[in-house]
Amino acid sequence: MKYFAKKLAGLIATLLVVSFLVFLAFAVIPGDPATAMLGTEATPARVEALREELGLNAPLIERYAKWIADFVRGDMGTSYSYHMAVTEMIADKIPVTLALTAISFFLIVVISIPLGITCARYMDGALDHIIVVANQVIMAVPPFFSGILITLVFGLVLHLFTPGGYVSYRTDWARFLGYMFFPALAIALPKIAMSTKLLRTSVLSEMKADYVRTAYSRGNGTRAVLYRHVLKNALIPVVTFLGMALSDMVAGSIIVEQVFNVPGLGRILLTSISNRDYPVVQAIIVCIAFLVILINFLVDLLYKLVDPRITME
Amino acid sequence: MRAKALKKILLASVCTALTIALGACAGDKASDTSQITIGIPQDIEDSLDPHKAVAAGTEEILFNMFEGLVKPDSDGNLVDALAESHTMSEDGKVYTFSLRSGVKFHDGSLVTAEDVKYSLDRCADTSNGDPLVPAFSAVESVEILDENTVQLTLKEPDKEFLAYMDVAIIPASNKKPETNPIGTGPYKFVSRSPQENFIMERFEDYWGAPAHIDRVELKIIANADAIVTSLNGGSIDMFARVSQSMTQQLSGDFEVLEGTMNLVQAMYLNNLVPPFNDVRVRQALCYAVDPQEIMDIISDGKGTQLGSSMFPAFGKYYMEELNDLYETDLDKAKELLAQAGYPNGFSFTLTVPSNYQQHIDTAQVVAEQLKRINVEAKINLIEWESWVSDVYAGRNFEATVVGLDASSLTAPALLDRFNSMAGKNFINFSSDAYDEAYAKAQAATDDAEKTQYYKECERILAEEAANVYIQDLPCFVALNKKYAGYEFYPLYVQDFSKLYLVEE
Repeated sequence: MKYFAKKLAGLIATLLVVSFLVFLAFAVIPGDPATAMLGTEATPARVEALREELGLNAPLIERYAKWIADFVRGDMGTSYSYHMAVTEMIADKIPVTLALTAISFFLIVVISIPLGITCARYMDGALDHIIVVANQVIMAVPPFFSGILITLVFGLVLHLFTPGGYVSYRTDWARFLGYMFFPALAIALPKIAMSTKLLRTSVLSEMKADYVRTAYSRGNGTRAVLYRHVLKNALIPVVTFLGMALSDMVAGSIIVEQVFNVPGLGRILLTSISNRDYPVVQAIIVCIAFLVILINFLVDLLYKLVDPRITME
Repeated sequence: MRAKALKKILLASVCTALTIALGACAGDKASDTSQITIGIPQDIEDSLDPHKAVAAGTEEILFNMFEGLVKPDSDGNLVDALAESHTMSEDGKVYTFSLRSGVKFHDGSLVTAEDVKYSLDRCADTSNGDPLVPAFSAVESVEILDENTVQLTLKEPDKEFLAYMDVAIIPASNKKPETNPIGTGPYKFVSRSPQENFIMERFEDYWGAPAHIDRVELKIIANADAIVTSLNGGSIDMFARVSQSMTQQLSGDFEVLEGTMNLVQAMYLNNLVPPFNDVRVRQALCYAVDPQEIMDIISDGKGTQLGSSMFPAFGKYYMEELNDLYETDLDKAKELLAQAGYPNGFSFTLTVPSNYQQHIDTAQVVAEQLKRINVEAKINLIEWESWVSDVYAGRNFEATVVGLDASSLTAPALLDRFNSMAGKNFINFSSDAYDEAYAKAQAATDDAEKTQYYKECERILAEEAANVYIQDLPCFVALNKKYAGYEFYPLYVQDFSKLYLVEE
């Protein structure tokens, strides 16, 4: 119980700090939402009237306090540029970003774990050598670039998907997933490489442990030792890594969304920043921060599952 | 046990992957409704209220959903729309509109004289500082004469005011015009998803010639590199403004239509800051910049050279002869610079909004051309929002390359801003002769006389070298050959109702 209270306090403190930093950042960077909204129609009188209407003339602290008060009541405000409720806008896009993250995470797990085990088991075999080298290369390629390559190879040459042909999940689930597979792959590739490498190393070092020799001496085969004894221990560092990778991916999907023209949270975030659409930026950053913290928390829980010796303190 | 579980997981994942891949291959859905997907370069990040929307990109789309008492046709003539006919009093002070009967709004209700009065009054409303539509500051009153007749009275006579009567007529009953647009146009609003799409459907009860295509989906392609792949890949059927280099990468499925952008692209100079406060310096730049060379380099010679703040679509106001005022002459340019006290040239910052490739391209060629007279233009790319707040509203710049469009087909739409006191006079141009000529043009009641004074204004802008005028850009529209019927307008609008499917 004490553990949850502590986590919750940490969560609230983080969100407060993050949201205040966003507020502060917008106070510092040049550009004014009222002029951005009015564009070339801006006259001093109209800008002033609009600033007053949006409540931008109040002091920073007062605006921040008002924002928090509204947020707590579930009101994230109205987008300056779209004139829509921010909650409505974000609720529509969160599934896109989450699906992207979930598919890439799924790819990482189902590809890297079998691959890592195979490499360790047939260490120094031809396959192992190939994978180790390939890993080094893939790790070095950033997702936006592999995204461009994937578009080129799978989209333009092999015609497995239509570049830019995003289909909304509301229109057709299957085609949505079909399209999302490729951006997810771009995000997953470097993480698959890292995770494979980590698991391989981890399994190899565990294989030298005393309990492995004991297991062998009791007449177990390599296969049984590997899956029944070693894997459980070897997975712990991988779980840590996957946890970090997952929160990294929530934030990192922003860039890949641009490459594949996926209208997720990242797309609105970037345009809202350039439109100085504070309420939207504020809400999205808080959402992303919340997701990251939540994921970290879930990973903590997962540790306990993998290794009962770890206690929640 | 473990191995089995792993195998199961693997099997499951392979199945999932296959399902996904098959789903992706399912391809086009067959349907009875005709549809077109059109790419647009930026989202409609704006109010959908036709009186409050400001971005040109929003207005060109809203053109399909809203109409005024009159509306422009593709030749630039104003034709009666919601008005069946209109009359103007002899002096141009009173306009009377008799309304077309039986016209319906998208929500099914009839357009009444009250709705018309409500809409016009709303445009003239000054409760937010300036009127929602600036030109409406000239409106004295709007009266309902009978249920089919509305009369508009101006404070001062203005025979061109009809051009502003294309402002949208909206129902007085709509409580949320910002997000739920209800108009009378050939298309009605269905939905929008930020950064994703904007969907419209044919309005079945449209009073005029109905649209051909049932459903129009506008898809946002924010990344310029994705335009060609999206067209060739088949995810969009049309894109309204592609560059010359993109047209060369298009597959054979596309037809490229060529028109003009209807913009005055120029290197706009801040007439208040040295050295641009000296007319000789401004003229020197005009002599050094060669618009033809710019057009040759950036769009294979396509485009129309301009010599003042007016483009050819305006017909009677356009003065082609002003193009020859500054025939490229480097010696003359250097001489003028020397006279102005800059025998060794000077350097300045050329601010360009980074989202407009055509302006960046032009700026780069201009900078090269100016080197020939030892003038160094340092190009500074800034975000569009910063451009609006610093350059346009703040007037804090030396020179900038942009294109200015006309919001209506009246000379003031392009010329009003150069009045020394005009709020939109971001270049700080100040000339008594100009102010006088402009005032005379406004006061004139005879059309020929009016035109004469407007031409005088254009001539002053050219002779004073208010800006370095360059061109009206060419506009290339990529349209899949499955469709036809695209029409260019002399205004910044897109008319989707004319598009139709080609029978195969």
